[in-house]
Amino acid sequence: MKKIAKQRRSRPDIPMASTSDIAFLLIIFFMVSTVFRKEQGMNITLPEAEATERILKRRNVSNVWVDKTGRTTVNDNLVKTDIVTSIMAERVIENPDLVVMMQADRDAAYGTVTDILEALKDARALKVTFATDYPKGQGG
Amino acid sequence: MALKSKLSTRTQSKPDIPTASMGDIAFLIIIFFMTTSIFSRDKGLKIVLPEKGEEVKIKSENIMTVRVSSKGKVLIGDQVVEIPQVRELIIKKLAENPDIVIALKVSRGAKYRTMIDVFDQLKMAKAERISLMPVREEGG
Repeated sequence: MKKIAKQRRSRPDIPMASTSDIAFLLIIFFMVSTVFRKEQGMNITLPEAEATERILKRRNVSNVWVDKTGRTTVNDNLVKTDIVTSIMAERVIENPDLVVMMQADRDAAYGTVTDILEALKDARALKVTFATDYPKGQGG
Repeated sequence: MALKSKLSTRTQSKPDIPTASMGDIAFLIIIFFMTTSIFSRDKGLKIVLPEKGEEVKIKSENIMTVRVSSKGKVLIGDQVVEIPQVRELIIKKLAENPDIVIALKVSRGAKYRTMIDVFDQLKMAKAERISLMPVREEGG
């Protein structure tokens, strides 16, 4: 009886030593699964394709953005098609494995895209990937 | 002399760094990474562009021309097909002649999504040799 009376004084204690462990685990998860955002890009709706495949090796990727009005952006700068050639020519010389991701809105006129493809051919950046989404209802 | 006696009695307790704030530091770092990085979402359809000026000689019977008009009508050889039927037709053609090269000519006025739909069908038909041809003349 006396022992129980003494124990009522101590309050329940949740050990907080492990919160930092949990927090560091979360950090490591984010560190391996995300990349720093390098550019804003443009607000576009990508077209859907069933044959979409994941692109690994993100390091060699350069993005070219085309919105539905035909405006073209590289690295958040509005550019004309001939400037795309010079930018990509430089990049492909630095990195022969360069893959150019064509992020074009689904309603963009194909004429603009084909001009950019010609510019990429001139720049000798031949590895191109058309960015697409999985169709609705289909996962990765 | 007075100090010395104080120091000698204090050698028993060891210096203690409070580690209660490690959790705070860890969560701050998480929030930093959460706001500055993005999940990589690169996915798309790959293609390798032909080099400019490199006209590979292909026998004309090994070329299958797929034309897409600006209204989105697809012509394979001389057959008009709907986009969902493209895949089966190409699978048939590939079964007849596995060395076939598919020349994809899309009109400049067509929507980019139309081209991606057709390209998607070709990829699903497992066509290995797809060549994107620029179409110069107007009036698709």
